Amino acid sequence: MITLLMEWKKIKRKKVGLTMCALMGIQFAWHFWAARNPSEKELLQGWLGNLQTQPLLCAIMMPTVMSVLASRLADIEHKGNTYKQLKTLRTAGTLYHVKVLCGFLFILAMTAANYLFLLALGYLHGYVGDPDPKAYLLSFALQSACCLSLYLLQLDLSLLFFNQMIPLVVGLCGSMLGVILMYLKTYSFLPWGGFLSSAIVMMDWNRDTKVVTYYYRDFSSIEFLALTMVAVWIIVFYTVGRILFTRKES
Amino acid sequence: MPTQNLVETHNLTKEYGKVRCVDSVNMQVPSGAVYGFLGPNGAGKSTTLKMLLGLAKPTAGDITLFGMPVKEKTRMKLLKQTGSLIESPSYYGHLTGEENLQIIQTLKGCSEKDIDKVLKIVRLEDARKKLVNHYSLGMKQRLGLAAALLGFPKLLILDEPTNGLDPAGIQEMRELICTLPSEYGITVIVSSHLLSEIDQMADHVGIIRKGGLVYQNTLESLHSHAKQQIALRVSHPAIALDLLRQDGITAAQEEDYLLLPMMDDAYVANLCKQLVSQNISLYRIEKREKSLEDIFLSLTGKESSL
Repeated sequence: MITLLMEWKKIKRKKVGLTMCALMGIQFAWHFWAARNPSEKELLQGWLGNLQTQPLLCAIMMPTVMSVLASRLADIEHKGNTYKQLKTLRTAGTLYHVKVLCGFLFILAMTAANYLFLLALGYLHGYVGDPDPKAYLLSFALQSACCLSLYLLQLDLSLLFFNQMIPLVVGLCGSMLGVILMYLKTYSFLPWGGFLSSAIVMMDWNRDTKVVTYYYRDFSSIEFLALTMVAVWIIVFYTVGRILFTRKES
Repeated sequence: MPTQNLVETHNLTKEYGKVRCVDSVNMQVPSGAVYGFLGPNGAGKSTTLKMLLGLAKPTAGDITLFGMPVKEKTRMKLLKQTGSLIESPSYYGHLTGEENLQIIQTLKGCSEKDIDKVLKIVRLEDARKKLVNHYSLGMKQRLGLAAALLGFPKLLILDEPTNGLDPAGIQEMRELICTLPSEYGITVIVSSHLLSEIDQMADHVGIIRKGGLVYQNTLESLHSHAKQQIALRVSHPAIALDLLRQDGITAAQEEDYLLLPMMDDAYVANLCKQLVSQNISLYRIEKREKSLEDIFLSLTGKESSL
């Protein structure tokens, strides 16, 4: 707990929260623009529509956001050459856990802010009915898990490389891949495809009538397998990262 | 007076790939000592110190700190009684000096009052509220030392602590290190590639060369090797050597010269008379001095700075 508190103290004046808010602001603006002037049909399906749009935007935004977050948290240690001191005060395992936990708290805060914004947007536009709390909570949990898997990947890279351009480039490439995957499939086994695999609401667009219909996804076995890959990536990135960080000599 | 060894290593070895950086080092640091760890750049000083702190994993050998073997389970407990400054100081540039120390103080679990004390010791009281990014290199080095001193540990490991300091800062740092054992009961291991620096700070010395510890003893003992000798060049060195030995003089032949221990002028004159009376021609009488530098260079293979 003390080590975690010190982690917060370390990022004082680094404006990590502000950076995350700015990136989230882009996502909020995007949501706001996408939901402008809703039609009667859109108002009817608004709450479901939110749960379909959110993973799509996350697939584009979050790889970059996670790379920035991980880089900000790891870079303070690289710049000050601090691990050789910290590793005499805490075990390498503890230091790794604290970085993971600190980042995860940011993820929870950001994802929660995202969903609160979606709810606010729904009430602002006057979507018909009430949001399904279970669906929103499930979506929130799944999106947080996807963010965590990407954060762990980015954290591992940021801790291993002194030059933070490498993980940032990986994050940007992940965002581009997110866009490509969005057009190709409804699921993917890649870490950056987790947002699509975990979307619980899908969209049917009728070419002739140009009418959009949202529906709760009925996961096929392969789609379910793709969904479980999010958990697999979390375990893989956590285990590999922890081992590499612990073994790395200062 | 030192009674027991605070730090001991047994055949401590470190290999990176096929390169052996530290080779079977048996280090013995007495309690209450300032142990100068001397060696040329790349000799293995930093690697050895990193192994003591658990920052590098030994390929072979054991480490004993405070009489207890360092194992994975005991490492953190033992390191709680240790402060260190390895290579360059560790700091968060975007925080003030005081905030940096608060982080270390909290992680060390020592008293908050220690921050004021260590800032006073390293004379950074006026700069405590300043961002460390705005510190000079010397100030950062002093902040690193302050962080190492927090909690006033039993053992302080300093790797080239005078790097980047101006002459006044170097002098200040030396004086401070010298006072640590007597004023705070701290045993200090300080590494350097400069003999003169260690000569002014340490009372015990370990000299490392190409990963191996080539000398370890008190500095006084190293000084005793820096003795003066008399060198005689004579016509028949072998006969002269026999004569000298018959007189009970410890002499040795080195090339064309006979090397004798230092003796007073009257004795030398008498000796010369004796040799001449035995038909041995005396070509030269020289006074030779083997300095501390010569000894150091002969131990380290003339690779280091003096």
